[in-house]
Amino acid sequence: MLGGALALTALAAWWQRRRDGAVRGADDARGRTTTAVLEGLGVRPGEADLTVVQFSTAFCGPCRATRARLQQLQATRPGLAHLDVDAESHLDAVRELDVRRTPTLFYLDRAGTLLGRSSGAPRPDELTALVEAHVPAPGAREGRDV
Amino acid sequence: MPDAHPPTRREVDVRGPRFAAWLTSAVLAVALLTGSGVLVAVQAAVFAVGALAGLRYAPYGVLFRVLVAPRLGPVREREPEAPPRFAQLVGLVFAVVGAAGYLAGAPLIGAVATGLALVAALLNAATGLCLGCELYLTVRRARPARTA
Repeated sequence: MLGGALALTALAAWWQRRRDGAVRGADDARGRTTTAVLEGLGVRPGEADLTVVQFSTAFCGPCRATRARLQQLQATRPGLAHLDVDAESHLDAVRELDVRRTPTLFYLDRAGTLLGRSSGAPRPDELTALVEAHVPAPGAREGRDV
Repeated sequence: MPDAHPPTRREVDVRGPRFAAWLTSAVLAVALLTGSGVLVAVQAAVFAVGALAGLRYAPYGVLFRVLVAPRLGPVREREPEAPPRFAQLVGLVFAVVGAAGYLAGAPLIGAVATGLALVAALLNAATGLCLGCELYLTVRRARPARTA
């Protein structure tokens, strides 16, 4: 029994490490639905180069670290927008978007195209790469204010 | 605009819940090996204090503050109390079922519930993953919609 519990723990830890934070793409139809639901929540992708929508709950440890990481990235990349959604008060959207864990993040470009989604704390290098790929560094575009 | 996250309330040293998770894992592993319903019941009581009274009164948390924290460096990181406190509640449910199983003569139920509690505690101790917190939204969204 103890052996079984240890094996199950190892399996769960492995699965979590493999999946956590990985950015997954979406097909076009699914992406459009997702964007529509997010826009219904007040998300305006047209106002930033990259909009990251984060679903959080109060009982979520990594949500705070994720929020902090995104705010840190915002400091150097003003074209990055970050929006925090309290999952519990938007359960309809949670169901429609099939959000199962927190934090779940959705990445939208300026055209409102869904670039991908991820669950769990994002992987720092992957997140940075995504931001750098879509948000020009300040100076590249003068006089922009977000 | 969607509303902001709920305001952060009480915070704890992140190392406290981690230490408590290791200790919980050890207690549950011994309980599983010995099939001791009493030991699972003791762990259930420990969970109950943390979940109901708050982490500052949780026995392992007190142990951490008094015995362990002074030997470690200063606090480097704090986290909101709500997630680990919620995890104590989830642990409590499993421990109560486990203790009841063992003590009522259903050792299989006792062992399965205790084993699941051990998995959750060990995951938390080793990787920092809070299983109860992960399942929170899954449970919450399965319930009928409430107007936001």
